[in-house]
Amino acid sequence: MLSGLLTKKAAPWVFLLPIVLFALVFFVLPVLFAAYISLTTWDSLSPPRWVGLRNYGFLFLTDPVFWRTVWQTLYFATGSLVIGVPLALVVAFAFSRSRSPGVWRTLYTLPMVTNIVAVALIFSFVFRETDGALNRFLGLLGLPGPGWLTDPSLAMLSAILVFVWMELGRNMLLFAAGLQQIDPSYYEAASLDGASTWHLFRHITVPLLRPTILFVVVTGFISGMSYFTLMLVLFPGTQGGPSRAALTTGQYMYQMAFEDLRMGRASAVAYVLFALVLVATLVQLRLMRRGGVEVH
Amino acid sequence: MPDSAIPATAPAFAAAAEAAIPPRRRPRWDRLGWSALTFALLALGAAVMVVPFLDMVLGALRTPAERLARPPVYWPRDPQWGNFVKVFSDMPLARWFANSAGVTLAITALQVLTSAMAGFALAKYRFPGRDGLFRFTLGAQMFPFFIFLIPWFFILRYFPLMGGNDWAGQGGSGFLGTYAALILPFAVTWYGIFLMRQFFMAIPDELLDAARMDGAGELYVFFRIALPLVGGGLATLALFVFFYHWNEVLWTMTVTRTAPDLQTLPVGIYLMRGTYENEATKSLQQAAVVVSTLPVVIVFLALQRYYVASVTSGSVKG
Repeated sequence: MLSGLLTKKAAPWVFLLPIVLFALVFFVLPVLFAAYISLTTWDSLSPPRWVGLRNYGFLFLTDPVFWRTVWQTLYFATGSLVIGVPLALVVAFAFSRSRSPGVWRTLYTLPMVTNIVAVALIFSFVFRETDGALNRFLGLLGLPGPGWLTDPSLAMLSAILVFVWMELGRNMLLFAAGLQQIDPSYYEAASLDGASTWHLFRHITVPLLRPTILFVVVTGFISGMSYFTLMLVLFPGTQGGPSRAALTTGQYMYQMAFEDLRMGRASAVAYVLFALVLVATLVQLRLMRRGGVEVH
Repeated sequence: MPDSAIPATAPAFAAAAEAAIPPRRRPRWDRLGWSALTFALLALGAAVMVVPFLDMVLGALRTPAERLARPPVYWPRDPQWGNFVKVFSDMPLARWFANSAGVTLAITALQVLTSAMAGFALAKYRFPGRDGLFRFTLGAQMFPFFIFLIPWFFILRYFPLMGGNDWAGQGGSGFLGTYAALILPFAVTWYGIFLMRQFFMAIPDELLDAARMDGAGELYVFFRIALPLVGGGLATLALFVFFYHWNEVLWTMTVTRTAPDLQTLPVGIYLMRGTYENEATKSLQQAAVVVSTLPVVIVFLALQRYYVASVTSGSVKG
């Protein structure tokens, strides 16, 4: 049955043919096409006009919004790590020592499988200034409720909090998997020696979990730098939140392309952002290797 | 004990601890206190995870009058359970649901198949260019999605001989306005190829060669011998891809803004937000979100164990 149809020599190429075709049409061609377009002015209706490096020059030297979005994107990516990673670590540690981990896991991973539109709409109600659940709760405590989504100084922080809420389950699962690999005899030995739970966490868990922590930080940073669907849906009808305070570079590119039809400049933004992410990733990969992490 | 010394000297450390006389027990208050603290912490966190969902359900149950009252009513006194039915006639939820299911299943099937084929070829054959191709699939993973948004849109738009286009890609609309625009760009996952290669590497070559000696062809070896052995890997990848693409919004929104018939659940609900600007109608919008979230939550609860494996499979090994 089926024998003789395919020689052993030809087989790998038959298996790889779909991938090679896909790579040409949906990877190589787009990467080159975007690079070419970034050197032109193109409104997608009339033919592109060659402008050399002028789009890049405009972004680096003239455009005040571009650099602002870069800083705001860095703020978003770093902020969600600074808040999210320690939180996930502590929750995973508590979770791994609890009696019913299954129940907790279900509750903590629910946001992971909820689509981003639902998440954003849920929080657009929770964050409402006058009658949102969060400000009602703060009111019960006698605290003033700020305009989470309308105050420019809070808008990006609100997006960070939602992102942390979404990602907590994933990070917690990764940490829990790392925790399982720690030999329990370390804990037993340290406990016999009179170490408190805090000492176990601080002196055994954290050092031995370093590879997982670095993995979570690096992948989290890349996704944070590239992410903007949340802000797109959380601040609808605005140019990236109140006074553009939640405008990230990705969303800036998206609006430039699909609303202003400036395909050339938008492609240049995409490539500059890509370069930034790449440099940051390479730096972090070096750190990971030094931290003894096996990277695929 | 300096923390840097622990990983390297842990066995010696353990031996030293056992030899220590007399062994000091942790005080009882510490153990009790910490388990209470652990529980409180987990419960508090769980509340933060779940309350936003409940807030949405409460919102969906409010009457227009309760929403417009000053101050607005939080706990609905006359819960509008009918809202969950009304949304199906108010917006094309069933259509969106069918689109989501069809597109997501098609993408999942394609990605699993292409990943298995490529992973098998890269793991179990020797041929010139193999290492180069493998390195390409690794390098391709570094390219973020936003690089492809603009070029994909126009490649699909000007795809030759499709959707009324001539050989030069002019005259029609290409793949835009068809399901292919939602599926084709996601037919292959570089990460999935890497993952499946890992699974196929674990199969001994002798097993496949034995089948070949018995006269089995290469297709037989792949489909009937190798694939069944990596069933767990296929399921892991399938679940991960399914949940990821069920929730995909950005690309689908970009290509279906002007094609309402192709919109998926999240995209449809998002793009219809203008209809629910009026405060009185917001309960229906919230009901739609609840209805759109529920099916995937139920699937998740059923398959949770396997999904967890799929999330952690790509992380740190060893």
